[in-house]
Amino acid sequence: MNDDLRQRLGNLGGLGVALLVWTIYAVYFSPTQGWVFFFQLSVNGIILGSVYALIALGYSMVYGILKLLNFAHGDVYMIGAFIGFGVLTLLGGPLNPAIPVALLVLCMFVVAMLGSGFLGLAIERFAYRPLRDAPRIAPLISALGVAFFLENSALLLFGAQFRNYDGFDLISYNGIHLGGDNGVFIQYLGVIVIVGAFLLMLALLALVHWTRLGKAMRAVSFDREAAAMMGIDPDRVIAATFFIGSALAGAAGVMFGLLFSQIYHLMGFLAGLKGFTAAVVGGIGSIPGAMLGGLLVGLIESWARGYLNGNVSDLVVFGILIGVMLVRPSGLLGTPALKKV
Amino acid sequence: MRKYLVAAVLAAAVAVLASAAFGSTKSPARQSSAGSALVKCGTTRTIGVAAPITGPAAFIGQQQLRWVKYYVKRWNAQKANAKKKIKIVQGDTQLGVDTAFAVKVAKSFASNSKLLGVVGPAGSQEVVASTSSYKGGGLAFVSGSASRTTLTDGHTDGNRRGFFFRVVPNDSIQAPTVANYISGKLKAKRVYIIDDQETYSQGLATGVETRLKAKGVNVTRDSISQTDSDFSSKIAKIPSNTQIIYIPWQLVPQAQAFGQQLKAAGKGHIKLFGSDGLFAPGAWKITGSYDSFFPIASGDPIVKAYAKAHKGDGEFFGAPSFVAAQVVINAVTKACANGTATRAEVRKLVAKTKLKTSILGLPVAFSASGDLKGGGFGIYQIQSNGSFKRIA
Repeated sequence: MNDDLRQRLGNLGGLGVALLVWTIYAVYFSPTQGWVFFFQLSVNGIILGSVYALIALGYSMVYGILKLLNFAHGDVYMIGAFIGFGVLTLLGGPLNPAIPVALLVLCMFVVAMLGSGFLGLAIERFAYRPLRDAPRIAPLISALGVAFFLENSALLLFGAQFRNYDGFDLISYNGIHLGGDNGVFIQYLGVIVIVGAFLLMLALLALVHWTRLGKAMRAVSFDREAAAMMGIDPDRVIAATFFIGSALAGAAGVMFGLLFSQIYHLMGFLAGLKGFTAAVVGGIGSIPGAMLGGLLVGLIESWARGYLNGNVSDLVVFGILIGVMLVRPSGLLGTPALKKV
Repeated sequence: MRKYLVAAVLAAAVAVLASAAFGSTKSPARQSSAGSALVKCGTTRTIGVAAPITGPAAFIGQQQLRWVKYYVKRWNAQKANAKKKIKIVQGDTQLGVDTAFAVKVAKSFASNSKLLGVVGPAGSQEVVASTSSYKGGGLAFVSGSASRTTLTDGHTDGNRRGFFFRVVPNDSIQAPTVANYISGKLKAKRVYIIDDQETYSQGLATGVETRLKAKGVNVTRDSISQTDSDFSSKIAKIPSNTQIIYIPWQLVPQAQAFGQQLKAAGKGHIKLFGSDGLFAPGAWKITGSYDSFFPIASGDPIVKAYAKAHKGDGEFFGAPSFVAAQVVINAVTKACANGTATRAEVRKLVAKTKLKTSILGLPVAFSASGDLKGGGFGIYQIQSNGSFKRIA
């Protein structure tokens, strides 16, 4: 067992102990006691965390391959949500769908993922590729510029008003009761989101580990120049990475719209920050880390909202980000940067 | 010699600072000069509209702006005004981001010598922050939504009498109306109140909470933010035997999403109760929910025509800004009757406003403090077809 693996296992062990202590406190000692409440919040957190995990994957993939924090990623997610809403509206809306609901939902996902993917390609081609050899601050500023450009373009195109997906009207208000009528309740929509997100994550893992493109992505991530010398076209691999990451963000946008209904032109800002936090907590550059980070951020946010009065969930989430950075600067599953001497 | 030079520079700097400081305290002098400056009216008269045109509350600001533009379009099209024209200068206050934007807008309006009066700003916190700039420029500003009670009491949030007016009733009327209905008519004993952390919402929530507690109602208080979309954890906290959830929010889609998530969590039997910010027939459509709103003349041809021109959406939250524009433009028109006008004249004429009817369904006149005279709130219930039926 090498040191790297040992450290990651240690991190996971520490996390497990922390979660166990928290669970015991929340269930037996907090003012709002009880298993049902705790697990209801946990289920809500896993649903929300699945969406964050999909966003975090895009951040992590791009960082892994380019060492670039793509701050426009949250806004790609916003555009994905609007594309999904456009498809929903075009095909009759939630109350009178013109085609079977399952097919409609599939269309929303496919079109949103393709649209966001191509948007990601365009961003990479026009905003980042020309700056590939520039100082690292330049693409970072460019990313911020793209974020504002997308937000204000959405404002001009779609207006400032919020749009409602009415996802529960489209799919169902019903769900599964665990532990009887007074037990934990999961809506079918929540189940669809969790299953959908995990399938996408598994597909991504399979792509990265078992395909030629995945191997090329890992090679470019490890050493771009050496990969180029081996016959890999880094530009194509980077473009593919942007496409896949952005498509996942588009899927997350549709999931968010279906679950929480309201979408608007600024929705990408905070969600992007949460996705970024998830990627950093999990270990930026690590795909399993992004998934774990997303789930953790969703859970922490849900618990904070449930157990604490007022609206302090963001304070808690970003406080934990600072804490993780102080204790584990490379995140839970990240690899410490190699120092070349 | 060098010492003298340094001392002279320091003295000059102190003099400059002192004059700047005195300048800011002697605002009445500047008020009078800016307020009494003669403006040639000509054929085009200019008013300002301060609203959150972008930012998180752009939804509100754009409604207000559209209603003001609607009034101006109608005014400009009237035969009686054939040789005159009203021009709007827009100022984006970005409500919810930083009140500094509202102050910047107020300063630019105050320094625009052609501008004679202002519609807005939208938020009570913006009114507080920008008052000194409007007063410094001698401008009347008429808000279509700022409802914090203390804005017009002359001391708590500063004195703006003679400058600030509002065409909506204040929260001291809305909160008791809601509390009386919840405890008296609905006879609720367990109420959950969730504010959205904005001044408007917190003021109303506190007003209703205090009154309900005084009546022996069991009240639990919580809050969300205007950027929240996931309410599942908040909803998990709400006991199933709660009878009413009071949500004095401003963002209609947020209330709609909250209602849907409440139903999806198996708590759809709990009734929602919203405030004037949520009065949006067709957009907030959780059947059976209650809402308080100043009585709007929904059958008024102007309101109907506006809704028709906006795909059936009456955008009622913005409707008072139409009346605010009406008040300001009437005053500007009267002040310009002899070809010139001053801001001071416009202010006096705004204070003397007497509209016999308005699209709000009530006459419009102001008290000495700038409040709307005689404005009350009605209680509405959402019907299964999405319409709002007045029930009290």
